[in-house]
Amino acid sequence: MKTAIADKLRNTAHALGINNKPTYVVMAIAAVKGICRPTFTMMDKKEDPKTKKYTAIREGLTELIAIPVYWGLGELSAKVAKKVLPPELHKKGAKNAMFIGVCVAALLVIPGLCSAAIKPIMGKFYHDKDSKNKTVQSGLDIESEAPKLEIKDNIYNNSTIIKRPSIQNFTSRAEYGMKVGGV
Amino acid sequence: MINGIGRVLTSNSLNNITSNTNSQVMLETTLKSIGRPGFILIDNEINEDTKKYAAAKEFLYQATCLLVYAALVVPVFKKGAFKMAQKLFDKEQIGNFSSLKQYNHYLKLCDSSLNNRKMTLNKEIKGVYKLDNDGNKINKLVKDDYDEIAVKELLKENPNTFTDLKGTIELGNIVGSVFGLAIFAPQVSHAFIHPALKFLGLEKPEPKTENTKQLDKNA
Repeated sequence: MKTAIADKLRNTAHALGINNKPTYVVMAIAAVKGICRPTFTMMDKKEDPKTKKYTAIREGLTELIAIPVYWGLGELSAKVAKKVLPPELHKKGAKNAMFIGVCVAALLVIPGLCSAAIKPIMGKFYHDKDSKNKTVQSGLDIESEAPKLEIKDNIYNNSTIIKRPSIQNFTSRAEYGMKVGGV
Repeated sequence: MINGIGRVLTSNSLNNITSNTNSQVMLETTLKSIGRPGFILIDNEINEDTKKYAAAKEFLYQATCLLVYAALVVPVFKKGAFKMAQKLFDKEQIGNFSSLKQYNHYLKLCDSSLNNRKMTLNKEIKGVYKLDNDGNKINKLVKDDYDEIAVKELLKENPNTFTDLKGTIELGNIVGSVFGLAIFAPQVSHAFIHPALKFLGLEKPEPKTENTKQLDKNA
């Protein structure tokens, strides 16, 4: 084996042998997943290009959120454990607390954050841009050109309801909701 | 309350999990397979069918990851890392262990107290025999499996855990986890998830294009 590579492997193995934090492996997995899952999704020839793009951005964002959460919650749990435990149990307790932090992140914090944060982010950077482009490309002002239909719907207060065609009637977006899972 | 938390944080069973990347990743993937579909199912902004579809898909993906991990990492990467350590380091640094299983057993012994360790070393292994000086068949002891250096270490209060060997195995584990979960599992799940979803009735089968072509020709 070449010496330079062997030296690097020896040093890495030595460092991991002395201190292998539970956050290392989950962060490494999240980082590579954040690159590979969107790439694989974009390589799928069967999928609709718009769905592919949406799914790939969503997958990338999920892992982008996961990396700092794993690190932050892991380190925070270790610090709390060091404050709670006596000094002789610091090393053992901090490592175990870090692992509990990673588990809480995987079970609750990351899925919760993704549910709360991804939709608004995707709405801002993907849907809005998409719909704006469509309006400019088509050159049609659908809202003002739409026929106004007056329907007497409620006989009791005799109010007038104006029904306009929805923007969704003119979009080519697939209507089967979000895509999760990367394939 | 604080004593209870302290006891949980310093428990040996939790320590056994955290000192092993393999069990960490297995547990974390299991939690993901519960948490992610769970959060999809409680999302009120998605319609029922989409929720069921997305949750089932996410669960199947994580389950595939778990299977791929169990099938790939331990047999291939951990054993490979053990062999690589023997090439990278001298025997003084990594001990003289014959297999990964033996080293894992040694680490478990290191975690236990000195008294427990001594008792375990002198236990007989059932069904495994050796010949004594007079040529009689006697039961093999646990300590007979280890060489003199390892036995000497195990009789110390703080035995050497051969951190270089441990680190190389952990490195193999990390590389295997990344390869298995981020690169290999999506490929496997791609082939597995859609038939599974169709089988569960959550995905409609694709319309057959050949029939459509035939119909067009006839028309």
